[in-house]
Amino acid sequence: MRHPGASLRRTPCLALIAATAWLGAPLAIPQEPSAGGEPSRVVGPPRGSALAGEALTARAEEVAGLLRCPVCQGLSVADSPATMAVNMKAQVKDLLARGYDQEQILVYFEHSYGEFVRLEPPLRGVNWLVWLGPVMALAAGAAVVAWTLRSRRRAAEEPLAPLPGPDTLPDDPKLARHVRRVRELAYGWPHGRPPESSS
Amino acid sequence: MSEGDVSEAKPRPFNQRVLLVGLVVVAPLVAVLTMNLGRNPHVIASPLVGRAAPDFGLRPTGGSEPVTLASLRGRPVVLNFWATWCVPCFEEHALLVSAARALGARAHFIGVIYQDGEDEVRAFLARQGSAYPSLVDPGSRTAIAFGIFGVPETFFIDAEGRIAAKHVGPLDASSLEAKLRLSGLAP
Repeated sequence: MRHPGASLRRTPCLALIAATAWLGAPLAIPQEPSAGGEPSRVVGPPRGSALAGEALTARAEEVAGLLRCPVCQGLSVADSPATMAVNMKAQVKDLLARGYDQEQILVYFEHSYGEFVRLEPPLRGVNWLVWLGPVMALAAGAAVVAWTLRSRRRAAEEPLAPLPGPDTLPDDPKLARHVRRVRELAYGWPHGRPPESSS
Repeated sequence: MSEGDVSEAKPRPFNQRVLLVGLVVVAPLVAVLTMNLGRNPHVIASPLVGRAAPDFGLRPTGGSEPVTLASLRGRPVVLNFWATWCVPCFEEHALLVSAARALGARAHFIGVIYQDGEDEVRAFLARQGSAYPSLVDPGSRTAIAFGIFGVPETFFIDAEGRIAAKHVGPLDASSLEAKLRLSGLAP
């Protein structure tokens, strides 16, 4: 018979597995045995509608703009004059003409080149940090600024501690006696008490 | 009349909170940078290693009958992407030819021409010697399917058609031997 606590102990374990699966999401492109030089074996049958003419040329330019040229770092396939980029763009055009949609084409190139080939890292796994990191850093900075301003304003609004007056004396009776003596000698106050308070 | 300066110059304690926040920001950056210190940013791990090799059907130089990867099953395949204009390819050529001759029927050696003219390739092979076919790859479709970044790149495919290893750059005798072993070739 299973211990009643067994299912409870399994919960964090499942959460860990779920987290691992989430972080492992970059691997979520079609797995074996579908690998092949023929795109349909990697991404399945075309999901979009076949394009032609000017629409095809314009769309090919857009999709090629999302692919990183493998031989020239930092340039998109659309922008690079390298032969490899020209060939890749030709294949993008060919795939669009056959009805493959943008995501299928990106996944096809990603299958052979890895995530590197996408100019924009897709929103998955650790890539969330790339997208959300700057926003989170900005929010954290704004929070620090707001917190500092608020504590400064609060400090300014706080009433100042009253300045010691002529009849204020320290709590220490010995020190108070000395202060009175000094006041008596310096100002001529009898017993160190200011004239108005003495009357 | 001045009362004299009564404000005390309090020594500021070492701000541990600022130090902690600084560490939280800086430590992950330092960790990421040190972890990647030994990594060559130009070598990107191929996602194809361990997967089935993309199939192809390409005709060899001076031939018309296409060579398909499927027809090479049953023996390890050394698939070398190369070009005559590539100096490292020239350097590894003699090694590949002698390995192909030495292994004979135990492994298939196949060249795939990367952005080069067929005539140039035939002249090069006539001059430098050849022991295996080099295939013409129109539009670099096969190079794209294998995720080629540049030449030379060599794929080691096992007898079942899975990519066992990939080598970027010119091969030397020891890396060729190690990767042939990975593709299932007994020493």
